[in-house]
Amino acid sequence: MKLAARLVAPIAALALAGLTACAPGTSDNSSAAKDDRTGTLRLWLFREVSNEPKEKVVDQVVAAFEKAHDGAKVKVEYIPVETRAERMKAAFNDPKSAPDVIEYGNTDTAGYVKDGGLADVTTEFNGWADSKDSDPTARTSVTVDGKVYGAPFFVGVRALYYRTDVFEELGLEPPKTLDELTTAAQRIRAARPELYGLVVGGAYTYGAMPFVWANGGEIAEGRGGSYASTIDSDAARKGIETYTSLFGDDNCPAAKCAGMGGNDTVTAFAAGKAGMAIGGDFSHAAVEAGKVKGKYAVVPLPGVKSGSVAPAFAGGNNIGVLRSTTHRTLAVDLMKRLASKRTQGALFDAMGFLPTYTDVRAEAAKKEPFIEPFVKTLASGTRFVPVSPAWARIDASLVLPTMFQEVVSGKKDVDEASEDAADRMNDAFSSVG
Amino acid sequence: MNSTGFRWRPRRPRRLVAEASALVIAAVVAFPLYWMALSAVRPAGEIESAEARPWTLAPTLDSFRRVLGQQEFGRYFLNSLVVACAVVIASALIAFLAATAVTRFRFRFRTTLLIMFLIAQMVPVEALTIPLFFLMRDAGQLNTLGALILPHIAFSLPFAIWMLRGFVKAVPESLEEAAQLDGASRSRFLWQILFPLVLPGLVATSVFSFISTWNDFLFAKSFIISDTSRSTLPMALLVYFKPEEPDWGGVMAASTVMTIPVLVFFVLVQRRLVSGLGGAVKE
Amino acid sequence: MTLVPTSPAGTARSRVRGGPAAPRPRARPRSRGAAAWTPWLYLAPALIVLGALLVYPVGQLGLISLLEYTQAQVSGGEPTSFRGVGNYAELFADAQFWQVLLATVGFATACVVSTLAVGCALAVLLTRVRAVPRLALMLAALGAWATPAVTGSTVWLLLFDPDFGPVNRVLGLGDHSWTYGRYSAFFLVLLEVVWCSFPFVMVTVYAGIRAVPSEVLEAAALDGASQWRIWRSVLAPMLRPILVVVTIQSIIWDFKVFTQIYVMTGGGGIAGQNLVLNVYAYQKAFAASEYSLGSAIGVVMLLILLAITLVYLRLLRGQGEEL
Repeated sequence: MKLAARLVAPIAALALAGLTACAPGTSDNSSAAKDDRTGTLRLWLFREVSNEPKEKVVDQVVAAFEKAHDGAKVKVEYIPVETRAERMKAAFNDPKSAPDVIEYGNTDTAGYVKDGGLADVTTEFNGWADSKDSDPTARTSVTVDGKVYGAPFFVGVRALYYRTDVFEELGLEPPKTLDELTTAAQRIRAARPELYGLVVGGAYTYGAMPFVWANGGEIAEGRGGSYASTIDSDAARKGIETYTSLFGDDNCPAAKCAGMGGNDTVTAFAAGKAGMAIGGDFSHAAVEAGKVKGKYAVVPLPGVKSGSVAPAFAGGNNIGVLRSTTHRTLAVDLMKRLASKRTQGALFDAMGFLPTYTDVRAEAAKKEPFIEPFVKTLASGTRFVPVSPAWARIDASLVLPTMFQEVVSGKKDVDEASEDAADRMNDAFSSVG
Repeated sequence: MNSTGFRWRPRRPRRLVAEASALVIAAVVAFPLYWMALSAVRPAGEIESAEARPWTLAPTLDSFRRVLGQQEFGRYFLNSLVVACAVVIASALIAFLAATAVTRFRFRFRTTLLIMFLIAQMVPVEALTIPLFFLMRDAGQLNTLGALILPHIAFSLPFAIWMLRGFVKAVPESLEEAAQLDGASRSRFLWQILFPLVLPGLVATSVFSFISTWNDFLFAKSFIISDTSRSTLPMALLVYFKPEEPDWGGVMAASTVMTIPVLVFFVLVQRRLVSGLGGAVKE
Repeated sequence: MTLVPTSPAGTARSRVRGGPAAPRPRARPRSRGAAAWTPWLYLAPALIVLGALLVYPVGQLGLISLLEYTQAQVSGGEPTSFRGVGNYAELFADAQFWQVLLATVGFATACVVSTLAVGCALAVLLTRVRAVPRLALMLAALGAWATPAVTGSTVWLLLFDPDFGPVNRVLGLGDHSWTYGRYSAFFLVLLEVVWCSFPFVMVTVYAGIRAVPSEVLEAAALDGASQWRIWRSVLAPMLRPILVVVTIQSIIWDFKVFTQIYVMTGGGGIAGQNLVLNVYAYQKAFAASEYSLGSAIGVVMLLILLAITLVYLRLLRGQGEEL
């Protein structure tokens, strides 16, 4: 019948609506010319599961700031981490709603810079006394193309959790090399088949990457301002091989472990289902609440050579100033106060956030012995993801988890999977130019 | 309550079988809900533990305390309620009128319109939030509840119109003719005769628009940017989905708190659902 | 309980009793003078809202799909440039897209069929039971419907967890993993999707059955027709307008399933084996603010769903059902 006509009519109407409408929305997000010394600053921080201790520390910082700057006020808003993508985009698109100072995940730095959202604070950062003690990886995480776009707020890092009771029972020592790690894992599984030896996850990128880094591999290398993937290099492949060999009935069966993410492995360990796990300093509370309380210890994840430490991923958050702020001087001062040694020390006491300053961290380790292996891991050198806006896409399209899972599930071998992953990454790198 | 519209008068055993299976199915359907509520009162660390007991020996309200103690939680709740009620009422009225138009009249583009109504639902919402964002920004609605109410009305309408169409259609034409003969004006027929008759349909569509508005995350996080006092309940829930360290107790408690008002809303409106035209005829 | 208390309604009620039981297949055109603009008057509020908030954005969507439009363009950092069909070419050249499309169609079909079957069966069941079991089933179903999709998916995952879930224990499956195999993972997600979407069908169809004059059903029941026959030859034809909307809605939703797959299969399953179109669009485009590619996927999705809908409506018309 008139099916075609019925199909054509709505589409034509839509096409018309599209054409007659003006060009899609854009916004003017150039940096503001004004630099007011009074008025209200908007500060966005992430809302934690138990937010109150954080609020207390922040309130003190804000009070001191308002006291120092007559006529300046700060409005703090706590936003859920899970809403950050939409909110940040929205803030970049509507300067009226935009905050002046934000807390942001350090893997988002390059993306926000590319979107034109963050202000370049290189001069202020370098001229700031506190920044001298900032550790190098933390500094990398605020730096894009040699310019600094914020101040590190705290770091998060992973190490090896192991069951002291199981190790004792089997006469095992904490592993000193990656090879020993594998052997220990298999011995645990053999002796206690109801446990995973070392619980690993196919979707646990930051648990897997240390194996690649320890073998001398890298995700990607910067070449002339842009990146090219090196995940298919021989060194990287060796790390992938080591990690994926841990998936099997002799340690962590692929059927169950291939789909696991970082939190799943920590949960398994906390519930007493695993002999070892790779967990963060931030996982401490969850493990303490589980069945293994009092029956575990933490050491740095070992590297290839005896006594070495596998480089860990340095996650964490930064504090940045938005380009659209009309209170640049004030905003930068607020950023410094929030990321200062003093605030970071207070936040460690309140929330357990690991400070980004080597000296403050050493102090913290004295107070809380459990963070010592994490501090040691940080001290022996950490790594970071490529500081490229393409990382958002690589991360969201699960390039690395897919690679590990392809190997683990036997769909591809290491060579093929890593080559495909490198291709997909390079696609992403080239698309952002 | 027992005024079932029509009675099948089946033999007793058959009805008992039907009722028994209804109860069993209800139990199966409710089990995940029970598990959710149970997880909300489990102590931390027991939610994912090796003993999957369907009960807990040490119930605690800690999770609920964390949820209800969240900064501005009451405010979020109120905002959600305002948005959902505004959407339910506005979309029911607008859809009722539109459904009458497309059912009781024939005019050019009628079919085209009906299909057009559906089109916006066929694309991923993420794709629409960008143009909608600029629309809201230019209308000065960002960071207000209007930025949530307006799009939700628009997204509930197509279904509501299509759905009510069926109900309006089921009301015999002769009824309208009779009303006209009795001298009732068109608007009187519309609101005093037709409207009550399509109530079961309105209830079903209201439940639909209430739930989809109540549970919305995307608009809530895209259009309420800088003023957290205008946030809605799902934002309070999202706090607990922290990557790498989610708080399942908080998630379950917040979800339980979110589900209860929907059930209350339903209990309030369900009498309209069970007493439809069939029931009216029976009297 | 009186529904229509006013006196004209009293007349109306008696008319219903004598009136034709089945709705007339077609409405009569109204010919008197003012009638020409009356429907438009009724439609006006809906058209204004939908025009501004849906037609305009969808038009923009089509436009964006032809441009280079990422966050950099949105924030005014880079100028917008015209790409023509470049985004579509990029999409169609991706072998994964076709694979995902196929999986989406298969998965959505299974979801739609299961949801409709379960929803309609339970709606009929509801009419056969007394108040208490009815309310119990309704409340359970409403609870399932009202649970936020992220939570529902998480709970189902917990229930079926090989280490911590009760389901494997009850079924004696040991530590069988539901999410490892492609089909078993799709099956688990299907269960969750049916769980949270059958209530919509059930409530809607039940509301429809309630609006059917009881004489019709009583007559059928007296004839001794089986439940299935009553459904086939009495209820289904009378409920057709409602079944049509429920079906179309289910197709649209199930084709666009996102949260369940994203949460339950960890973003698309082992090595992406459980990807569906919406998750694919998110990973490829929206997560990285590549709106033009995302819009192109949106347009493709729109055209597919539109085609399915039109074919479905046309099939109905072939059976003599007027839209």
